[in-house]
Amino acid sequence: MPPEIVPARLPAVLIASDGRHPVYTPPGLDAGVLIRDTDLAALVHRAGSDCPPLAVDIDSVAGLGSDDAAVDFVTSRLGIRVVLARRPQIAARVSDRGHLGLVHVFGYDSTGMARSLESHPRTPGVGSLLSPGLVILHLRPDELVDLPRPIVAYGLIDDVEDARACLELADAIVVRPAIAAKLAAQLEEFVPTGSGRREAIPETS
Amino acid sequence: MSYTPPDAEAFIARVAADPCCAAITAQENIGDALASRAPVVFILRGNGLALGQVVRRIHDAGKLVAVHVDLVRGLRADRSSIGWLGHAGVDAVISSHGQLMPAIRHEGMTAILRLLLVRRSQLDTAVAAINRSAPNIVEILPGVILPSVIGMMPPFEVPVLAGGFIRTQADVGAALSAGALGVTTSSQALWGYGAS
Repeated sequence: MPPEIVPARLPAVLIASDGRHPVYTPPGLDAGVLIRDTDLAALVHRAGSDCPPLAVDIDSVAGLGSDDAAVDFVTSRLGIRVVLARRPQIAARVSDRGHLGLVHVFGYDSTGMARSLESHPRTPGVGSLLSPGLVILHLRPDELVDLPRPIVAYGLIDDVEDARACLELADAIVVRPAIAAKLAAQLEEFVPTGSGRREAIPETS
Repeated sequence: MSYTPPDAEAFIARVAADPCCAAITAQENIGDALASRAPVVFILRGNGLALGQVVRRIHDAGKLVAVHVDLVRGLRADRSSIGWLGHAGVDAVISSHGQLMPAIRHEGMTAILRLLLVRRSQLDTAVAAINRSAPNIVEILPGVILPSVIGMMPPFEVPVLAGGFIRTQADVGAALSAGALGVTTSSQALWGYGAS
């Protein structure tokens, strides 16, 4: 009998880590760990630890390919349900396997972002990884609407106030552990209001 | 008659006096750019093999011209294309390839290194690339977040242009207040804004 598919939310916060040291999500914060800028051994080790990652930036893992076999490995063997990828077809493959693929959308200028979006698969299960994430605060409404959801703002969000502002527009943000800790410390007053469109992602239980 | 571009110091002074430069991505924007008070026209698209007439029109309008060698069609970003642009009368060349900066300077043009801001962890590497390639100017994208990011970057001495999502006078003011020499923008309403 196939495993039951249970919908789950993309957490509001992805805490970036290189996986070489354990990173735990702060209590009460809607968060998961994103592994990036690491190597294959560290990724495998962390996936088997007591603080396994929710997400991986597949192109930044030394030793790991960026192809279908790599997707199958991280999703099936390592149980990682969110995969960040530069290549749209890799993100689409993740989606095909019932997980969430996030394809990089480069927001350096308006022309470049539009061109970056041309190759977005625009299929359910493939969201947008807006890089650098801080630029989301400066997008026009029509540009924001054009980004396939869920939107994850990734990069240069290094201030709690910026993080909170980005969460008003994005479905999730990527931050360093220190910023996540500060967000958690402010949790009682922290009520993101713009995340109502956060999409469910399938979860295998 | 051969054309001699201004040296980098003069190019920088020109931008400092009139900080809003026109970034054009289509041939049809040229007329508006020429009619504006923008001191420099940045050509980000188009045919790099057919720039001669455009360059002459820009010079005839009393403006300087910078070409993004990585983005125009028909050219490979290498030393030979830099020589080609020099012969075409271009005043400055923009590239994300730091290794091209010496070649651009050697041709007598102003060398502009385009720096894409991605993540905090890469800022040190980016500044190291600036120091290694010694451009005359760094163009930072997306420039609209420069005020938030400049404090995270190690110090460097090269003048900065802010480009990308600069759309309002407030964006211009914030970038200049953060220390930018000027901005590049495709928003026509800003071309020449703040000119002295």
